[in-house]
Amino acid sequence: MAGGMLCRPYNRPVKGEMYAMNCAPILSVNNLKTYFFTDEGAVRAVDGASFAVHPGKTLGIVGESGCGKSVTALSILRIVDDPGRIVEGEIMFRRADGGEPVDLAKLDAKGGEIRAIRGGEIALVFQEPMTSFSPHYTIGNQIVETIQLHQDVGKAEARTRTIELLRMVGIPRPERRIDEYPFELSGGLRQRVMIAMALSCNPRILIADEPTTALDVTTQAQILDLLREIQERTQMSVIIITHDMGVIAEMADDVIVMYLGRVVESGPVDEIFHRPQHPYTQALLRSIPSIFAEPRTKLPTIAGSIPHPHNRPAGCPFHPRCADFMPGKCDRHEPQLRPVSASQMASCFLYHEPAEAPQQS
Amino acid sequence: MKRADGGAPLLEVRNLQRFFPIRKGLLRRVVGQLRAVDDISFHINRGETLALVGESGCGKTTTARCILRALKPTAGEVLFQTGAGDVVDTAALPKRALQPFRHQMQMIFQDPFSSLNPRMTVFDIIAEPLLASGIKSRDQRRQRVENLLELVRLRPEFMQRYPHAFSGGQRQRIGIARALALNPSLVVADEPVSALDVSVQAQILNLMLDLQDELGLTYLFVAHDLSVVKHISDRVAVMYVGKIVEIAETNRLFKAPKHPYTEALLSAAPKPDPRLRSQRIVLQGEVADPAQPPAGCYFHPRCAHAIDRCRSETPKLEEIQPGHVVACHRAREITLKGVDAQANGKPSA
Ligand SMILES: Nc1ncnc2c1ncn2[C@@H]1O[C@H](COP(=O)(O)OP(=O)(O)OP(=O)(O)O)[C@@H](O)[C@H]1O
Ligand SMILES: Nc1ncnc2c1ncn2[C@@H]1O[C@H](COP(=O)(O)OP(=O)(O)O)[C@@H](O)[C@H]1O
Ligand code: SF4
Ligand code: SF4
Ligand SMILES: [Mg+2]
Ligand SMILES: [Mg+2]
Repeated sequence: MAGGMLCRPYNRPVKGEMYAMNCAPILSVNNLKTYFFTDEGAVRAVDGASFAVHPGKTLGIVGESGCGKSVTALSILRIVDDPGRIVEGEIMFRRADGGEPVDLAKLDAKGGEIRAIRGGEIALVFQEPMTSFSPHYTIGNQIVETIQLHQDVGKAEARTRTIELLRMVGIPRPERRIDEYPFELSGGLRQRVMIAMALSCNPRILIADEPTTALDVTTQAQILDLLREIQERTQMSVIIITHDMGVIAEMADDVIVMYLGRVVESGPVDEIFHRPQHPYTQALLRSIPSIFAEPRTKLPTIAGSIPHPHNRPAGCPFHPRCADFMPGKCDRHEPQLRPVSASQMASCFLYHEPAEAPQQS
Repeated sequence: MKRADGGAPLLEVRNLQRFFPIRKGLLRRVVGQLRAVDDISFHINRGETLALVGESGCGKTTTARCILRALKPTAGEVLFQTGAGDVVDTAALPKRALQPFRHQMQMIFQDPFSSLNPRMTVFDIIAEPLLASGIKSRDQRRQRVENLLELVRLRPEFMQRYPHAFSGGQRQRIGIARALALNPSLVVADEPVSALDVSVQAQILNLMLDLQDELGLTYLFVAHDLSVVKHISDRVAVMYVGKIVEIAETNRLFKAPKHPYTEALLSAAPKPDPRLRSQRIVLQGEVADPAQPPAGCYFHPRCAHAIDRCRSETPKLEEIQPGHVVACHRAREITLKGVDAQANGKPSA
């Protein structure tokens, strides 16, 4: 794929324009808002998220529980459950045929086009592989079915391809394992099968939502390695969603940091870790226990805790916990995601002034 | 095992085993034994923190529960130094005889959401052990609960609320207050921060460090996250498939591990710095099944250093340097890599 050849990793600098020219994003999300209309009021699960996914690159989405990472993924695939709805924004996706980008947000969620994209061009791997398989069918049957849903191949060929896929994701003796049921596999093997299933239709974007959170560290290392290796081979784009800054540091080229449904900072992975600009990113990185720490040392902390989704603070959602909080500004106006350097963006009044009128609550 | 200081340890575990029967078929006949904890020994000195680390299913919680006698050990001794200064083997005593020193060992649980009764107020949750220990006066209990809430940095007004009104971090503080109600000497914390949001973990870790200093507590800290362990513990014991494979003082274990499994664990832990990428050892294969462990060293199918002897002979825990014990036939001859900020090119903070 052309993108993969031309886009260089961030650590080898390229000229801004050249980068933009050769690497038009494959997916570009603009001001996405997905709300859940519950009895107690609207939960603004995703509240104006913007980011781009480039060909052959890995975008990391990081944030604490409830910040809207999963709902962002579900919105892209248009599988947000009731009472959830995309209320604003666009999700521009360049399809394989090379035509004009389509806005996934505007598609009929049950229509043919999104069904062809979902599982075909964009595939999803979840945190808990057990719940994503049917317990009543062998893993082979389930992958064969996915292949036949998207591709015009016979059963025998689909089965051969399934064995190949299982081998590719490192399942030992795939000819035998193909006829086993999900419960017969360990967590690590199930996650591999899940990845095999996601890869069965050669997706151009793989969304991995906490793919290793349920796994042990040594198994996590294997799965992360596998994802990286497959990406190198296929040049697909990956969106990796996690709450673990360590996983982001291992995997991502670009990072977006989310807090309460908003992207608070975005940029290349090295900048995010070594020159974080947003007070939340800075505080979060400082508060993470480090394997390099001296034993029995206290950590800098972030005050308070994540507010309940129904008690969303006015203004900047981070203001009750922010060390740089500016009264009258941060609690009354909503900051916007704006460039703070050539490659980084942040949503914070340390970097721009509020617009005239205070936000309506 | 020798100790650095002369005093008796607060807790000494000797050759602890806990097996679970494996049943099969209609008659649920016992067809084998799952060796959840398989002959482990360690001690914890008064006022120190020993971390017990290892991957899921390696026997950490089973060990913790045996120490608290929530489970009866299959074999072995659990020698606990009571407040009165004598040493009792809680593994050998009948349950009733444990009553007098039960309160001296308390537990903090992983999940702050399921471990607190949702129908009880914070006051009732924390005061329950006080009542059970015979403090009849409600005023006295109130006073104590107030003190405990202050101790864990929660406002006393919270007493009348129910758990659902609190965040995960606050609930964990309530669980800690309850565990401390009867002035325990040993606190067993089973993954106390792993269910918490990242930004809240540091608060609870700091609190545990402070409480230890203020109250002279001794911790057995069960965890799988090595970064957390590095911050909190004085010494670390690493478990693999029911066995302890290595124990050492924290800095030593991280900088100079002597067991290949410890090395792999340290290497696999994701480091929050993109400049340290691809320095990982990725282990092949999977953790052995404690119902059917391999012969010899349980780690040999995954070990890059395995020799013939490892496939037949089980290595014993041996002290290779003062305070550093390892269960590996080749511990003295192989050189392993630890994590060291300097060596990894990261300036120490
Ligand atoms: N009541 C029980 N009956 C049968 N097997 C059990 C029982 N409790 C634990 N086991 C088994 O004993 C082994 C050790 O379990 P344990 O809960 O101690 O692991 P752990 O190290 O705490 O794991 P985790 O990190 O997942 O909490 C596992 O194989 C587990 O399945
Ligand atoms: N089906 C639903 N109904 C109501 N609220 C929901 C639903 N799914 C998610 N939410 C809310 O949306 C917010 C974002 O959730 P999610 O995207 O799952 O977070 P995470 O970043 O942990 O993946 C949370 O406040 C969550 O409670
Ligand atoms: S806008 Fe204000 S409160 Fe929000 S992060 Fe920036 S400084 Fe902090
Ligand atoms: S005893 Fe042998 S197999 Fe076991 S850890 Fe040591 S070298 Fe590896
Ligand atoms: Mg999620
Ligand atoms: Mg456990």
